[in-house]
Amino acid sequence: MKQKSVLKQITKSREFSLVIVLIVLCIVATILNPSFISPTNIAQIFRNNALTMVMSVGMLCVLLTGGIDISVASILAFSGMIVGMLLKYKVLENTFLLFVLGCVIGIVCGLLNGLIISKGNVAPIISTMGFMYIWRGLAYVISNNQWASGADVVGYSDFGADGAAGPYIIIAVVFIAGFIVLKWTKAGRKIYAVGSNAEAARVSGINVDAVLIYTYVIMGFLSGLCGALSVSIYASAQPNMQYGLEMDIIASCVIGGVSMSGGRGSVVGTFLGALILALITRALPLVGIDAIAQNMVKGILILAVVVLNVVTQRMMDRANLERREM
Amino acid sequence: MKKRIVALLMCTAMVTSMVVGCGSGNSDSSSDASSSDDSAATTEDSGEAKDIADCTFAIVPKSAGNPFNEAEAKGFQEAIEAAGAECIVSYPEQATADAQITVLQSLISQGVDSISVAANDENALQATLQQAMDAGIKVSCFDSKTNADSRQVFVNQADTELIGQTLMDAVYDITGGEGQWAILSATSQAANQNAWIEAMQNVMEGDEKYANLELVDIVYGDDEPQPSTEQTQALLQNYPDLKLICAPTTVGINAAAKVLQDQKSDVKITGLGMPSEMEAYVGEDNVCPYFYLWNPIDLGELAAYTAMALVSGDITGAAGDTFDAGDMENSPYTVVDASDGGTEIILGEPFEFNPDNIAEWADVF
Amino acid sequence: MAGKSGREISIASNKSALSRVLSWEGALVLIFIAVNILGVILSENYTAANVLRQMPRYLAEIFILFPMGYILILADIDISVGSIVCLSATMACFAGNAGLPFPVVILVCLLVGLICGAVNGAILAKFTELPSMIVTLATQIIFRGIAEVSMGSGGTISYTNSADLIPLTTMAGPFPISFFGVVIAAVIFIVVLSKTTFGRKLYAIGSNKTAAYYAGVKVEKIRFIVFSLAGLMSGFCALVLLSVLFSANTTTGQGFEMEVIAMAVFGGIATTGGKGNLVGGFIAAFIIVCLRVALGLINMNTQLILVIIGLMLIIAVLMPGISQRIKTMKKMAKQS
Repeated sequence: MKQKSVLKQITKSREFSLVIVLIVLCIVATILNPSFISPTNIAQIFRNNALTMVMSVGMLCVLLTGGIDISVASILAFSGMIVGMLLKYKVLENTFLLFVLGCVIGIVCGLLNGLIISKGNVAPIISTMGFMYIWRGLAYVISNNQWASGADVVGYSDFGADGAAGPYIIIAVVFIAGFIVLKWTKAGRKIYAVGSNAEAARVSGINVDAVLIYTYVIMGFLSGLCGALSVSIYASAQPNMQYGLEMDIIASCVIGGVSMSGGRGSVVGTFLGALILALITRALPLVGIDAIAQNMVKGILILAVVVLNVVTQRMMDRANLERREM
Repeated sequence: MKKRIVALLMCTAMVTSMVVGCGSGNSDSSSDASSSDDSAATTEDSGEAKDIADCTFAIVPKSAGNPFNEAEAKGFQEAIEAAGAECIVSYPEQATADAQITVLQSLISQGVDSISVAANDENALQATLQQAMDAGIKVSCFDSKTNADSRQVFVNQADTELIGQTLMDAVYDITGGEGQWAILSATSQAANQNAWIEAMQNVMEGDEKYANLELVDIVYGDDEPQPSTEQTQALLQNYPDLKLICAPTTVGINAAAKVLQDQKSDVKITGLGMPSEMEAYVGEDNVCPYFYLWNPIDLGELAAYTAMALVSGDITGAAGDTFDAGDMENSPYTVVDASDGGTEIILGEPFEFNPDNIAEWADVF
Repeated sequence: MAGKSGREISIASNKSALSRVLSWEGALVLIFIAVNILGVILSENYTAANVLRQMPRYLAEIFILFPMGYILILADIDISVGSIVCLSATMACFAGNAGLPFPVVILVCLLVGLICGAVNGAILAKFTELPSMIVTLATQIIFRGIAEVSMGSGGTISYTNSADLIPLTTMAGPFPISFFGVVIAAVIFIVVLSKTTFGRKLYAIGSNKTAAYYAGVKVEKIRFIVFSLAGLMSGFCALVLLSVLFSANTTTGQGFEMEVIAMAVFGGIATTGGKGNLVGGFIAAFIIVCLRVALGLINMNTQLILVIIGLMLIIAVLMPGISQRIKTMKKMAKQS
């Protein structure tokens, strides 16, 4: 009896349908190109999508509060560009310190977002849109039309080099920490509470403003971290780097079943969502889709996955309802 | 009802403020504009040389935040300022034709004497550049051309066929004349890259020598590190027997070299790259034996001399015109017919960067 | 009273003409005048003739502002408009190059836009659970993807018979012809929003979707219509843009969605729905255009212009909160 209920719980959960999608994708891709399932390929999938994955945990928190942050790619570029320029002009070359610096820059950016959204009572999409322009513009200004790459970042790029453990460790730590914080800590549960019903949360004594602020600080922190990480992985810092990444991040979250109106979503779902998006991006060139058509196919697949999500959800709801009626 | 009236009032206020606000400026500066028109007209009529030092030269590179474009602009600016003229460097907001139009329109309004543009799209600038020419502005292109109708002359970094031939020779040499190779390009609509790739394909088809070389794929890394990295990885995975990747784009060659070095792959890379970016990857035993480029500073400089020659009336952009380009290597330069029906000026041959000279050039650009 | 509800929601307190002038729209008019004065001070080239000549490329964008305002009032968002512009312009080029007469080309351009918008609308009406942002994100990639595929490896297509497009570029006095198109569209969209039941329904849905649904508003149908409208207006945008570009390429219309949303928000439309009107958005659009032209004329770093616009946006949305706070502080001071 108990076994059955556990099984039912698994099949009933939203994540289950994602796992199925993931498996189907893997099987199709492997049939079309057997090297898809190879360990190197899988390792590269994680490394190439480390930024999307890490930042999707932050975006999950933001979406849980019912907000959104579209400034993340710009924060990433701003922090990454500062790190890159420090390396280029040999001001600071300690990998650890540079990562810390990237994180601090991200935290400051996130704090500004959080303050304006909570204290200024501004819609998150607008505040972050303003900062999207601001940080990206400043990244260009700092760069002064230069890139940091190649010889400039030798040594620093070892941390994120192909085969180095750095990116994988960061992904693992962020997801595990995110899982623990959102599931078992007060701070994490408060994020859910604010997102489900801000008014109720306020009445029950939660400082909503504080929750919003630390949510955006977490997002900023992860964006700043990814700025430093991006320079390390791609051994290059350019002011236009990761342009448009915010949309990929939001898409991973939504594919992972996170509600954009707040209160619903999980770290596991987000992880699966990010992985599905990563697999799609990776599989397209491998299965022989024409380079020019890759974008279009990617869009169709994203749409298909989110629609599929809704359809299965509806079917499950209906099935539950019928069972109750009987 | 009241609200409606107030709203109406405000609309009127807005329109009047616009007409008045701009109109007040209009009176004095329209005379200004007409006077500059007059002067332009007189120049054309009399065919007399304008004093270069009183002129304003504008350069519109492809995009901001790119050291290659920066180096071009630097060469341009130095040459113009050495002549005592005023130089405006106007980067577009993004690497799109649309963003360049905004910048170009602004330059037309300012009544500059010459515009040199590296076009992000061959056709899209036509209407704007024709407007500029109608206003008496000399229009030339450099780096990346527009169609023949929207320019007076194109400053070409190197002959397209020659680039194709040079790169094919490099491919032949590095692979040993046989085996699989692939191309990693910029975006699918990058006009320069498409022309060079086409030239390479023509060279390959035109000579039996290349019969044993198999071009397995052309992929596009969008001139960004992440997609370039992903496309390179996919190439390596799809074609285990691959011997060489040719990347005729500075971002692509850099990203691909990084992938090959990280994976300690036997695949080699060549193409077009910046020496400062590629220093870490060039070497006998390294992933990149040698690669090519031209000097962007020289390209900017030549674009500047061309613009000045156009403004001073030394050349009109017709084939056969010759002009002096200061102390530049191949000076004097001659305008020749381009394959698209327009005219062009060719800077020189692509320059080879190899382990012997890379360190020296890495400090330059 | 009920009949006025739309307006009541849109502007919380407006008792006198004076308060109306002090409202956000009034402030925008003042900012608009200030920006123009600034422009004249900054550059001697800031003249009506120059500003208007530079305008068509921006006017194209303003066409999308109006339906985007509707969408934001519905508490939705559409980030696919830029891609629709790209696809419409591409198809119009194909149609024109195939030798079709120009009126048919116009029809193709608008129809493609309308169909794209209708696709968005249909998906959103069918799957109401889906957030509009994610659907339009996917279609954003798809529409531009279709344009990319149809343009092939060149990634650009030129409108060969460019004589067709000349009528669109003519100037009526100092005004580009598209300026009047924008004004006509503005009048229609503003009147529909403020004077018709359709407009009131938009506010009703934006304020409280469930309540509107139970009050008998066909939420899905209206959503479908509004998103289709956005597609149609993107078609108009593409047409005006064609008259500037004479061609289309894969980056055509890129980033328009954000610029348009910024204009709307700057004009006082809240992305949370149910608030704001298009008059503000319309004035705000011209503020941003004039500012960009003015700063462009002094050759300011284009990236810095973006920073300034970002700052303006944030300050603008902070204003209502700040003035509210000052008001309550004054009240408290009075009471004590």
